[in-house]
Amino acid sequence: MRAAIVWTILRREWMETLRNRLLLSTILVPPVLLTVAPIILAGAVGERTLPADLARQILSQKPEWVSFTPSELAGAFAVQQFLVFFLLMPAYIPLSIATFSIIGEKQARSLEPVLAAPIRTVELLAGKAIAALVPGVLAGWVTYVAFVLLASVVYGRALFGVVTDGSWLAGVFLLGPAVGLSSVVAGVIVSARVNDPRVAQQIGGVVIVPIVGLVLVQATGTLLVGPAGYVLLTLIVLVVSLVGLRIGVRLFDREAILTRWR
Amino acid sequence: MTEPPTENAVALRAVGLGRRFGDRWAVRAIDLEVHRGEVLGLLGPNGAGKTTTVRLLTALIEPTEGTAAVDGFDVRTQADEVRARVGILTETPGLYDKLSARTNLDFFGRLYGLDAATRAERIEHHLRLFGLWDRRDEVTGTFSKGMKQKLAIARALLHDPSVVFLDEPTAALDPEAAFIVRESIETLRKAGRTIVLATHNLDEADRLCDRIAFVRAGLVRVDSPAALRGALGARSLAIRLASSPSPDALAALRRLDGIDTVEAVDGVLRVRASEPESIAPAVVRSLVSAGGDIVEVRVDRTSLEQIYFDVMGVHPGADGIEALDGGEAPV
Repeated sequence: MRAAIVWTILRREWMETLRNRLLLSTILVPPVLLTVAPIILAGAVGERTLPADLARQILSQKPEWVSFTPSELAGAFAVQQFLVFFLLMPAYIPLSIATFSIIGEKQARSLEPVLAAPIRTVELLAGKAIAALVPGVLAGWVTYVAFVLLASVVYGRALFGVVTDGSWLAGVFLLGPAVGLSSVVAGVIVSARVNDPRVAQQIGGVVIVPIVGLVLVQATGTLLVGPAGYVLLTLIVLVVSLVGLRIGVRLFDREAILTRWR
Repeated sequence: MTEPPTENAVALRAVGLGRRFGDRWAVRAIDLEVHRGEVLGLLGPNGAGKTTTVRLLTALIEPTEGTAAVDGFDVRTQADEVRARVGILTETPGLYDKLSARTNLDFFGRLYGLDAATRAERIEHHLRLFGLWDRRDEVTGTFSKGMKQKLAIARALLHDPSVVFLDEPTAALDPEAAFIVRESIETLRKAGRTIVLATHNLDEADRLCDRIAFVRAGLVRVDSPAALRGALGARSLAIRLASSPSPDALAALRRLDGIDTVEAVDGVLRVRASEPESIAPAVVRSLVSAGGDIVEVRVDRTSLEQIYFDVMGVHPGADGIEALDGGEAPV
């Protein structure tokens, strides 16, 4: 694989993304909301405390929170829910970019001249995949950093420690990119079969279902996933993504694109 | 008699080339040579296999059987080398509408490995050649169909390919845009480019091509328009007279050498001959000496349309329904 060709593809992808206002708004608005929403939630929670049973259940899973005051515990529990939302960004942003990119090229019939050049399809796929993956992962990371800075100001030192513990770091920096990869793979596979980016996003959005499941499990307080859990989830998502990638590479074959993509 | 082309003079060669999709052969048994500087037309109806042939010859898809080579590089085993040596205008321009004309070309220049200075020089050259230099920084989404097609041709030429493939370059264009594109192709032809032009436009093929390959699930016939007319088309002199010719004048004409038949229809004498231009002076002298008042003399050539119908075995029916004589169904 030639890096110069991959970079050429990636560069053009980003130039087009920057000129697509709809896609740009899809990428930029949610991170802003995700940074601000926890701050608003903190205000809403205020001095409230958790029911005693729930507090006991949480402390059994998170003994390091035992020194928290009842209101800090409530805040920590509320803020903990937001970790999974930081996984949604690397999930839906790459999906949006990949589907817009591939289906856009199908509709404009612009892939044939590209494939007529001395380029390998794996280089084309790599360029598109990286162009889709990087903004999603970066958005997740940048939003997280902004969120941490705000959290340290708004919530104080106790909750700052919560959002920078091993679970958060493993979730944002390991599981996030893995989820992003699975999202790109889903985007490639679905885009090969449908001709409307919105339909592709709805179908490809199936990758978000496990994340929503994680939200629900955490919200009930029955299972707060720790660092090891996030590492395990990362490995599972990577394995699933690599299997999907093999399917995606086959669908992205030069002849398949020219003769079967309609 | 012309010398057989040397190996270096052959830009493209196909031997027994064929491609099957599932159980159906799109094209089969294509034997073809395209010489440097030649414009070869691939002429056939929609679905005849022209695009498949172009894709096979540009190493976009692999042949099921047979071989083809561009500049001696095999489409199957040296696909990257082939792709580096061909330029292709696909059925649709396939431009990036949100990017400018210059950025579109720059992207492809990078894909073909051109350095920055060469890219800049060639982009300017081709944009000027096709009259797009003043619009170079406008996004192509604002371009007319003709402008997009010209930009796509510029894109196909950017890396200075050995062979340029133009797939239906004027399809779906209005007459003005089609004229502009044909003028562009004429410019390339005059510049000595080797071009393979896939089209179902008979007039376009007649005007632009040195040889025409009739395609219908394979090559039905390959020849120059002149040779096709000579071999397949009867030619004649049409002479319009001020008044009907006398029987003596007709008898005198029939005695001239080189004339096959003479008939008078609606005040027009039709003199059939294998070489109507060479017998024209003798025919005119004979008619004038017999007292005929000549209004107009012209050489009637068989239209390429008629030749097309003959070669393809197509007989448009009385009620406008085409009938195909044998052969495989178009794919």
